Order: sequence, then C-alpha cells, then structure tokens
Amino acid sequence: MKLTIAWLYPDLMSTYGDRGNIIVLTKRCEWRDIDAKVEEITLETPVSTLKKCDLIFMGGAQDRQQKLAGEDFLKNKGPIVREMVEKGIPALFVCAAYQFVGHYYKPYRGGPIPGAGIFDLYTQHPGDQAKRLIGNVVARVISSQKTIVGFENHGGRTYLGKNLAPFAKVIKGFGNNGEDGYEGAVYKNAIGSYFHGPLLPKNPHIADWLIAKALERKEQKSVKLNPLDDVLELQAQEYVVHSLGV
Amino acid sequence: MNVITALAICIGKLIARASQLTNLGAGGTWPGEIALRLSPNILSSLASRLKKGVILVAGTNGKTTTAKMIQIILEQNGNSVVHNASGANLDNGIVSALIQKPQADWGVFEVDENTLPVVLRQVTPKIIVLLNLFRDQLDRYGEVDVIAEKWQKALKKLPKGCTIIANADDPLVAHLGKAASSRPGLELRAFGIDEPKLFQKKIDHATDSTFCLNCGARLKYEGVYFSHIGIWSCPKCGEKRPKPDVSEGNSPLPGLYNLYNTLASLSVAKTLKIRADLSRFRPAFGRQEEIGNIKLFLSKNPAGFNQSLRTVLELGAKQLLLVLNDRIPDGRDVSWIWDVDFEMIPNDVSVRVSGDRVYDLALRLKYAGVKATLYEHLDEALETPEILYVLPTYSAMLEVRNILKGRKIL
Repeated sequence: MKLTIAWLYPDLMSTYGDRGNIIVLTKRCEWRDIDAKVEEITLETPVSTLKKCDLIFMGGAQDRQQKLAGEDFLKNKGPIVREMVEKGIPALFVCAAYQFVGHYYKPYRGGPIPGAGIFDLYTQHPGDQAKRLIGNVVARVISSQKTIVGFENHGGRTYLGKNLAPFAKVIKGFGNNGEDGYEGAVYKNAIGSYFHGPLLPKNPHIADWLIAKALERKEQKSVKLNPLDDVLELQAQEYVVHSLGV
Repeated sequence: MNVITALAICIGKLIARASQLTNLGAGGTWPGEIALRLSPNILSSLASRLKKGVILVAGTNGKTTTAKMIQIILEQNGNSVVHNASGANLDNGIVSALIQKPQADWGVFEVDENTLPVVLRQVTPKIIVLLNLFRDQLDRYGEVDVIAEKWQKALKKLPKGCTIIANADDPLVAHLGKAASSRPGLELRAFGIDEPKLFQKKIDHATDSTFCLNCGARLKYEGVYFSHIGIWSCPKCGEKRPKPDVSEGNSPLPGLYNLYNTLASLSVAKTLKIRADLSRFRPAFGRQEEIGNIKLFLSKNPAGFNQSLRTVLELGAKQLLLVLNDRIPDGRDVSWIWDVDFEMIPNDVSVRVSGDRVYDLALRLKYAGVKATLYEHLDEALETPEILYVLPTYSAMLEVRNILKGRKIL
C-alpha cells in the first residue's frame, strides 16, 4: 500500500517541533510496510502536486512567515485543500494552521485577516494585555473517549460555529478559548488543534486514525492497521497526565 | 552616588558574601535583585562608574563563551574586568556582578534576549555584540521574530560612538545590525566565516530566518554552515550578507559555533585595537567543560543541540548521555526536540537518556531509529568508566555538575 502525505509550508509553517507529526506519520506507515512519501508543498510547488496527496498536514508559524504563506494559501493552495477536505481526505491543522482554516483571525490591532473558510470557526485576539494561553494540557477525544496530551501556546481565542464539532473536551488546560472547555475541532476527516508542534508522538492513536482514513479513502475499503508497540508513547503521555495531577 | 545607591551596594555585598559563605549559590542574582528593589536605577549608576565602559553580548547561543573570551582578551591587555561569569544574564545578574567589582575598567556582560531592551535603557555600551537568533524556549521568549522586533526598537537607543558587532552570516542579526548602524555616529563591524569547505551538505530542518527581511523573498544561499547561518543574498531586492571585517581566527574549542564565538571576540579586540590570544582559553562551566571522564556540552535548543551533536560525533564520541528537563530555565515546552536531527547518530554510538522528560526524549530517539537506554535517575546515567559525552539542557547541566562537583558554578 502507498500513501502520499502533503506537508504544507515546511519552511514557513514549522515553528516548534511540528516536524514531529510528519516523522510519526511516516514511521508508523513504514513499520507496517505502508510505503509513505512526503511531498513538501511550499510557495513554489504547483497545486497539481498537492492534488495527488492522500493526507494533509499543516503546522504553526510566526506572524511574518504566516503572512508569506497566507497569501499563497488563500490564493492557490487553500481552495484545493478545501476540496480535498470536503472529499474526506484526512488532514491535521495545528496551531496557526488551525486558525487559518477558519473564517478569519482578528488581531488586537487592525482589521480581521481572512482565512480559508474550510472550518466554520473564527479566532480573535482579546488584546495585548490578555495573557497567552500557555502550558501542558490534557483532553479527552469526544468520539473515541481516548486521552490526548500536548502543549498549547496561543494568544488567539477560537470559537466554533454551528457547523463544526469540537474535537476533544479539556480536562486540564485552556483549549480553544479557555472558556467553553473544548479543544480543537473536527470536520469530516480533518482535525484542527491547538496542541502545537508534535501532537502525534504522544497521541499515536490520532496518527493511526489519520493513516487508516487515508488508506480507506484510497483503497475504497475498510482498513484495520496492525497494532504497534506503543509502550513508550503511552509512558510519555502518562507523564504529562500525571504531572498535571489528573 | 546618592545614599540609597550606596546603601543598596552595601546590602548587596553583604548578601553576596552570605550566600557564598552558606554555600547557597554563587551569589548570582539575589544581591542584584535586592539592590535593584532598593534602588531601581542602580544599574545605570554602577555601569557609568566603570572606567572604560561596558561591552554587551547578546544572542541565542554562545553568549557565555563569547563574553568569557572578551574578558580574557581585555585582561591580557592589562584591564580589570567585571563579568557576569555565572551566566546570570538578567539585570539582577549584571547588578550582582557590578556590586562585587564596581571599580573595574570594563564591564563585559552577557544579556538575555528578552532583557536586552531593559538593560539598554540603563546602560550605554561602547560595544554591543549580536551573535545569532535561533528558535529557543517558545513558551518563555516567544518567536524569533518577536525577539527581533524588541531588539530593533531597543537598538535605536544606542548612543553615538557605539560599535555594533554583528554576525554577517545570520540574515536576521545582520539586518538588525545594519539597520541600527544606519544612524550617524554608529559603526557596524561584521564577522563571518569565508570557508566554502565548511558548508553543510544536508540542510538542518530547524531554520528560522531564510526569507528576506526587506522584501520577503526566499533567500539564496551560496552555502549554509548550519541552521540558517551561511553566505546569503536576496535574489529579489539585492540585500546581501555584509562583507565580514573579521573572518579568520583560531578557535580554542571544537565546533563551528565556537569559531563564531571566537570571531566575535576577535572583532572586539580589533575594534579596541588590542591584541588577542585565546590559545589558553578554558571553557566556561557546562560548555565543553571536562569533569573526569565526563565531557559536558550544554545543548538547549535545536540549533545548539545539532551543533553539539555534530561536534561530539566529529570528536569520535562512542558514548552519549542526553538529558532533557522542562523546568523554567529550560522552557516548559519540550516540543523542540522534534526539530533536532538525532537521526545523525550512527548505530555504533551507545546512547543513554535521562532527565524530567526522559520518556519524551526516548520516544524522539525511537522515531529517529536510535536505540537508547533509559535512566530515570541521573546519577546512575552518569556511571561509566568510559568517556561519556553529556548533552544536557540548562537545569540538567547544573544537576550533572551538582552530582559531579557540588553546587558551586565558579
């Protein structure tokens, strides 16, 4: 079996360990003899390359880099990603990418910055005196009831619209906005999350869910992945759960 | 000097003495902290009393080593120097150092990236050295660009007659240096490496400033030394790496990053027109420090970790210990380990891992295809008759030293 993973803007939107998600996806394919190939999609890459991919990942960015990637995403790659997500191609949007697939981001100064509108959500920054939401976080995925852990670090607060379901319920930490107790969002087979950088290493069940969905769509049949030895993954997860006193 | 300042100095000295006598620490921050609370302008008042002036060293990596090199060079030329050698690089650390040696000729201070603006409000340096800017402790410092913006504002306050020494090969730092020195009365001296043989074949993943600061176009590199450090130019607007004033020097320590530290300190010597001999330079604590069979290479962010790894492997390391903590001085967020290229560790090197976040580190290595032995207790991880290269984060480095040598830093 073969799988092509699109990594959007690896040189612009990869701020703090985002690469971990790509490493985990490819290794977990490799360990199951699934031939995974990563296509690095950046400013100059034609959309035809993106269209051939079976799974999408896009990570966090600094403001200046996000602006550079943003222009290209809104004009060129975004509409394609939207079509792919609508068709059920699995995707993971982390941090800045999560904000970016919404309708808009409203900074504390200046007007709203439009997003790609793939997810029914918007983000706003409550002002330069508001504190950033920073720290380790534990949540439970609503559909599977499995635990996820991560680190969040965001100034913007994200609010989901009627047409979008939250991904997980926060047990300890802030999540989307620090108010409603939810973290991330899920639409069709696409997940958005504020767990920045390496979300997948300590949450391998999400990696496997994305891989399985990608294969199912490609092979047009249900796919059951061979289990892997995840003792270390779960020990690392357990450490975070434990250190937060959950 | 007013009465309160004098009193603050006196009390600060007493606290420093007490903390050294009771072995509570090197007296690195508390004397200064208390003196600052008693007399908020004490930094400015103490710094202005130095006979020849202040030299500041800023950047993500290499501050401690570079500041120590500058200190040695100044002392070789008969100057007395006050220096925050314990690495306490906030304003309280600088004040603590000054209290203990207020009559020196020169003050040489390394300054934390976030604290540089605070210090520049109080101190008018003769020379400021800008080493590099890499992604580091996102939860504490914010993004590289956020730091750069703060620096840009702060550097606007530099007085006439100040020399800015900037790394030509770091596009962001070179840009900041150029912009700040465009005002009349300020001088820029650039340092950089002109040695294509040292270009890296495979580019690191962790690069931060590879797009033009003027126009946003992707920079073109004639070659990269590491991370985003190299010989760069912008094909769109013509912005390019400034020609280095200093590009040659013998580094007393292995590793390309130490060559940069050497060039920076030689640039200071050149600016002051004094001679410099670093051949007998001894590394600063935790930075390539040797304690028995243990060799310590502080490694606290992706660019630094990659450089340390490359250096110890070039030195023929056969046994590594990697230690990852997530305390406040390390940054609470350990995501950055996924930006380190651990994949470069060959199969015949045996690897131990330890630290607060030992499972995260072991997991990262598992996905890099590196087999590692996990030690929950650091003291056990250090037990070996062989030469052990230890790459720890900051608080882990202090812990290792504590186990091997006790708490004293200097």
